[in-house]
Amino acid sequence: MKRIVHYVNQFFAGVGGEDSASTPPTSVDGPVGPGRKLQQLLGPGCEIVATVYCGDDHAVSAPAVTQEILALVQAASPDLLVAGPAFTSGRYGLACASLAKAALAAELPVLAAMHDDNPGLDEAGGAPVVRSGEAARQMGPSLDTLAAAVKLVLAGEALTADDGRIGAVPRTSRMSDRNAATRAVELLLARLDGDRGATEVPLPTFDHVHPADPIDDPSTVTIALLTEGALVPEGNPQRLESARATKWLRYPLDGHDTLAPGEYRSVHGGFSTVWANEDPHRILPLDVARELEREGAIGHIYGEYLVTAGNGTSVGNARRFGIEWAADLRHSEVRAAVLTST
Amino acid sequence: MGDLTRIIHHVNEVALADATRFDGGRLTVDAAEARRILADPALGDVRVTWVSPGQSARIIKVLDAVEPRTKGPGGAGIFPGFVSPAGTAGEGDTHVLAGAAVVAAGFLPRAQEAVIDMSGPAAPLSPLSQTHNLVVEFEPADGASWEDVDAAVRRGVLALASRLAEAALEADPDEVATFSTPGTQANGDGLPRVVAITNLQTQGTFKDVFVNGASFVGGAPTVIDANQIDDGAIVSGQFGHPSLKNPTYVHQNHPVIAALRARDGQDLRFAGVVISPEPVDQSSKERVAEATAELCVSAGFDAAIITKEGGGNADADVALKMDALESAGLTTVGLFAEMAGPDGTGPPIVVAPTKAIAMVSTGNYDERLSLPEMEVALGGAELELLRVPATSAMELPTAVVYCALSPLGWGRLTCANGLAALA
Repeated sequence: MKRIVHYVNQFFAGVGGEDSASTPPTSVDGPVGPGRKLQQLLGPGCEIVATVYCGDDHAVSAPAVTQEILALVQAASPDLLVAGPAFTSGRYGLACASLAKAALAAELPVLAAMHDDNPGLDEAGGAPVVRSGEAARQMGPSLDTLAAAVKLVLAGEALTADDGRIGAVPRTSRMSDRNAATRAVELLLARLDGDRGATEVPLPTFDHVHPADPIDDPSTVTIALLTEGALVPEGNPQRLESARATKWLRYPLDGHDTLAPGEYRSVHGGFSTVWANEDPHRILPLDVARELEREGAIGHIYGEYLVTAGNGTSVGNARRFGIEWAADLRHSEVRAAVLTST
Repeated sequence: MGDLTRIIHHVNEVALADATRFDGGRLTVDAAEARRILADPALGDVRVTWVSPGQSARIIKVLDAVEPRTKGPGGAGIFPGFVSPAGTAGEGDTHVLAGAAVVAAGFLPRAQEAVIDMSGPAAPLSPLSQTHNLVVEFEPADGASWEDVDAAVRRGVLALASRLAEAALEADPDEVATFSTPGTQANGDGLPRVVAITNLQTQGTFKDVFVNGASFVGGAPTVIDANQIDDGAIVSGQFGHPSLKNPTYVHQNHPVIAALRARDGQDLRFAGVVISPEPVDQSSKERVAEATAELCVSAGFDAAIITKEGGGNADADVALKMDALESAGLTTVGLFAEMAGPDGTGPPIVVAPTKAIAMVSTGNYDERLSLPEMEVALGGAELELLRVPATSAMELPTAVVYCALSPLGWGRLTCANGLAALA
């Protein structure tokens, strides 16, 4: 008999609606609400031994709450945690996704369900998520998909898009019985033999960013200087990484007309920094930007520059830096930015 | 051009002793002699220390690693351009001390911190965890430039590797293997003629690769005899991206060359090796890709396995060549490491081919490893990356483990869709 713990929000636990959104994490024995139907669909091979629920507001209020919920789940010693379906409900979806990600990190098998448009989907960190309908009126078919997926996961099968799997499928490392060079020769022979689709690596898909509209009159706006060239004050006081950056930093430009060699240094690990260090403007063009500012061609140079190291940076971190930079600059009423890349 | 015979001696036991000697699988090194070989005006104090597989030992700040090889007293053609004159490598006999390596470890600017664990979960990932390593640690001389320190360490390590192999010149070999220059076999057997295209990271000092003793920066795609690579014609001075580097040791034992030699005459013909630079800008990458394709067509190759060195931008060098060669009618496979983020959900590679999709994965750069505490650490006292003592337990991305994602295909690591925990 496989043991399942089911996570739902306060609404599906029958505790209440928006007025109960601050309900703390709670565990009760057996299936509750949609869990009863799920138990019927799963049949006798497995049992929902406990239902853990939490209010929508409370669940997403702090990372510690996710750990608290996970502890209640683990107290019931499950073989599998099932979260949702969360439909398009944002906070519920985020709670399910965060819990799924935490369970994955704790090596507890997990399966969540939500709609493709749920913002939680991107936060599941590679934990498996299956598609649900948009709203509770689609509970029936959503539970059908979920129950079928639960059976597959408990049988040790990998879920595919045909099983309703949505979101990013994680790529994880494992040891082959042959080295990569030998596999390359075998792949080449397969391709020569006519197998044109064989590959170990799926083609990547990238986001496409639509550029903002041009500025009508640069002489009236504030423009920021940004760089991924890892230009930092001498001594690198905040220890920006030279590769695989996990953070970005800000340093003042107010009061500086130029960036003197010896006072700034690039700590970038991906190119020869000799010429950057000879003249830091090769990374951050403050000299010409100040000229343009004096000439009135541009309004103002933003009082700080934002910097990270773009070298082996994960796409996830790079996306986060972009979101944080955009928010920071919009908040400061910066209308345009020059982002130098190395 | 001709036949090269590897005379292979297995090293099973190592020690420092009064004399440098090889006898019955036991290699002893006279540390004073080693220090004399390594001495250079750019270097201050130099130390040599053995570490062996299975030992509770960690090497940090790893630079290059070299397999001891020689063709006779004084090198006699080994490591052309460094130990021997150019033009003498690639034929005759080469003595190999298999299972041993000379490993340089210490600070150089722009060298990204690399880790080798001799035991524990990272040990299966690195070729240099499988060897008895004579670790060379060094201090720069007062006033020496870092460029001179780098050059001195490289010259010294190659000379020392050559000297160690000399100890086996009179010993009975454990194995003998003879290789012909690729492309000199009879044609017309109908087997596909396969070339190994080896991209070398060429981005200037501390990120450079040497061919016959000269920097390959600004070089053009070039056909090179695989036997010369056996004799150390390619020497690494490239210290970026530890998991994605190709040290001299791995070039000497080039895994794609080995895999092609193993199948030669069965279902393919190993027809040659082309080395190619990895320039830094897009237009140069495109120009080099087209030039490589032209060279391969002229040489009559039918198919190619393409490898890289370095991080994301080097994906473009492989992808562009795959596309250029497929357009020219050759069948290609590329080796890539994945950079999919710690949870493996990001895009796996930075630049993908469009005409060919046959890619081999050497593992995920960002996946994290927990390394245990070690009794001994060499190369430095502190892992600067985490600011922790070098011996301490630590969590690191696979990216930091020396050659863990070997672009030349040494390792068995790969990636697949799905969670290992649920598989």
